[in-house]
Amino acid sequence: MSRDSSVAQARTIFVVAIVAAVLVSAVLAPVAYDYGTSAQSDGTVSVITISGTISGTTVDGIAEDLRNARTNESIEAVVLKVDSGGGAVAPSERLYLEVLRTAEQMPVVASVQGVGASGAYYGMLPADEIYVLSSSQVGSVGVIGSGGSVPVPDSIIRTGPDKAQPTADQRERTIESLKRQFVGRVMEHRGENISLSREEVAYARTYLGPEAVENGYADGIGSLPAAIDHAAELAGMEDYDVVRQEPPNTLGLFLFATETDNGTQIYKQSDRTSGVVPVTRPLMVDEVPYHSPEVIANASA
Amino acid sequence: MQARDLTAPAVAFVVIVAVVVGGAAALPFVTGGDTPEVTNLAEEQTDLDAVRVDAAEESGTISMESSASGKTILVDQAHGNQLSEEKRSTLVSTLVENGHEVRFVTQEQARGQAWNQSLRNADALLVANPGQPYTPDQLAGVRAFNEAGGRVVLLSDPASSGGASAITSLLGLRVQRPSSGGAGLSSSLGVAAQSGYLFNMNEYQRNFENVYATGGSGSLAEGVDRAVFSDARPLTIDRGQTALSTIEGTRLSTTRRADTYAVAVQSDDVAMVGDTDFLEPTNAYLAGNEAFIGNLADFLVNGEKTRNAPAPPSSGSSERPTAPTRPPTA
Repeated sequence: MSRDSSVAQARTIFVVAIVAAVLVSAVLAPVAYDYGTSAQSDGTVSVITISGTISGTTVDGIAEDLRNARTNESIEAVVLKVDSGGGAVAPSERLYLEVLRTAEQMPVVASVQGVGASGAYYGMLPADEIYVLSSSQVGSVGVIGSGGSVPVPDSIIRTGPDKAQPTADQRERTIESLKRQFVGRVMEHRGENISLSREEVAYARTYLGPEAVENGYADGIGSLPAAIDHAAELAGMEDYDVVRQEPPNTLGLFLFATETDNGTQIYKQSDRTSGVVPVTRPLMVDEVPYHSPEVIANASA
Repeated sequence: MQARDLTAPAVAFVVIVAVVVGGAAALPFVTGGDTPEVTNLAEEQTDLDAVRVDAAEESGTISMESSASGKTILVDQAHGNQLSEEKRSTLVSTLVENGHEVRFVTQEQARGQAWNQSLRNADALLVANPGQPYTPDQLAGVRAFNEAGGRVVLLSDPASSGGASAITSLLGLRVQRPSSGGAGLSSSLGVAAQSGYLFNMNEYQRNFENVYATGGSGSLAEGVDRAVFSDARPLTIDRGQTALSTIEGTRLSTTRRADTYAVAVQSDDVAMVGDTDFLEPTNAYLAGNEAFIGNLADFLVNGEKTRNAPAPPSSGSSERPTAPTRPPTA
């Protein structure tokens, strides 16, 4: 009797041990798989998204992603996934400098999805290679801004004639200076490849992908996976991991999509969706498509 | 449990915490800090000389050389003319300072016989960017006025496409569109304006639409080495003189062709300028603009108009002369 009971007890313990082993294995197997995979991987390619209007806020996020790429030892290359028609000048220059700082440390490849114009093109200039699709548009190397200022009413007290009221001459000089900076950097970074003169670049034309490759605004036709693979190759990686840094979604678009009680609907092509989105409050449109009326804005397609 | 039994674990706890925390604090002193080396990329990437845009030099004074005095200049304000108060004052104050009278013709004063009456008492007519058409009687009056030696100055910006159609009929001038080709100046005075604006991407002042023009021939060009026109339209001339033409490399927006385009022309007693921005107080003293404005004022007062023209109906002649009474002279 006692022998039977000890056998049964041993069998129970055996079963429990097997079940426990299966459960533990099920938990640990993915970890082990990841470990095995990463052990084989030579490093990571970080895909950083640049989309929508370039503003101080969007560049803050992108700069953080680029800084992480520079400080994370496992990240060996960066791919910029670009779909933007530009934005304000100062954030565009900040983006340019952040990408330049990253490109000095590791290979950076830009992959233009739809549009990579004006401030967005400014930002991707330091990339080692620029890939475009045959339907992509790049270029628009120029600056746009209002030429005059609204007269300040007499009830406002100012300390000088130029306070809050620059003259048309001053605006022209400001915009001309910004243009020279932009064109100069295009010639510097694309200098060896570009077949256009400084004067032709300053026309601020936007080029379709194939023409951009031909005149040196871009280096080749290629999709995002090709750009990622090429970035890994530039970093000397055969096996690599990919991490994607997406910008945070704003709530604005969600509100537009749900508030359709108004009979009048205005449609706007969104940068974040593939189709048109019904907009019932046009004044709340999340982004001005490709240029801002302010003096500090870059033009685009 | 005795307190003595807790001593050993407590000591062990303190030792472990001290080693771990102390080690963490000491580690940076051994390995060095993690502050990355920062290079000033913004400064490295900025060529201060290349991006500096100097302020344009403004100098000189607007002066008239003419010895004529007491002339009456009529400024057309009856046809939706678009010329800002600032621009108008540049020319008007020059004329008034030199002893001439400037009258403005409003819409009320241009109705019926009043238009020709105004012309009859004037020596010169200034028409800028008309936006409304002229009646046949008004056109006939202006033509008779001009044929009698009355000076007419036309100013036309590219934006004034509405006015262009008015100028089309005024004095028989015609706006020439590139699509229609270079021929077709039906104007009896042989002056026409093309559509589009001029720009120069290579040599310009502050902005590609501010083009330089150099002096040609005729009284309007005297003493003008170089003038600046903003957003100007090119003119063509059949006979007469090209007073100012743009420097080489200037292009027309509609054709993108590089050429030297005429922006100020004169033919007998008619002069035309394809811009009004040169009269803007901030532009009036750029380059040689002040000399050109002085020349334009001189042109307005230097005419020798026959008295009492256009003839009043009571004199027996028609208000609408059909043939030139005064052949053009070179």
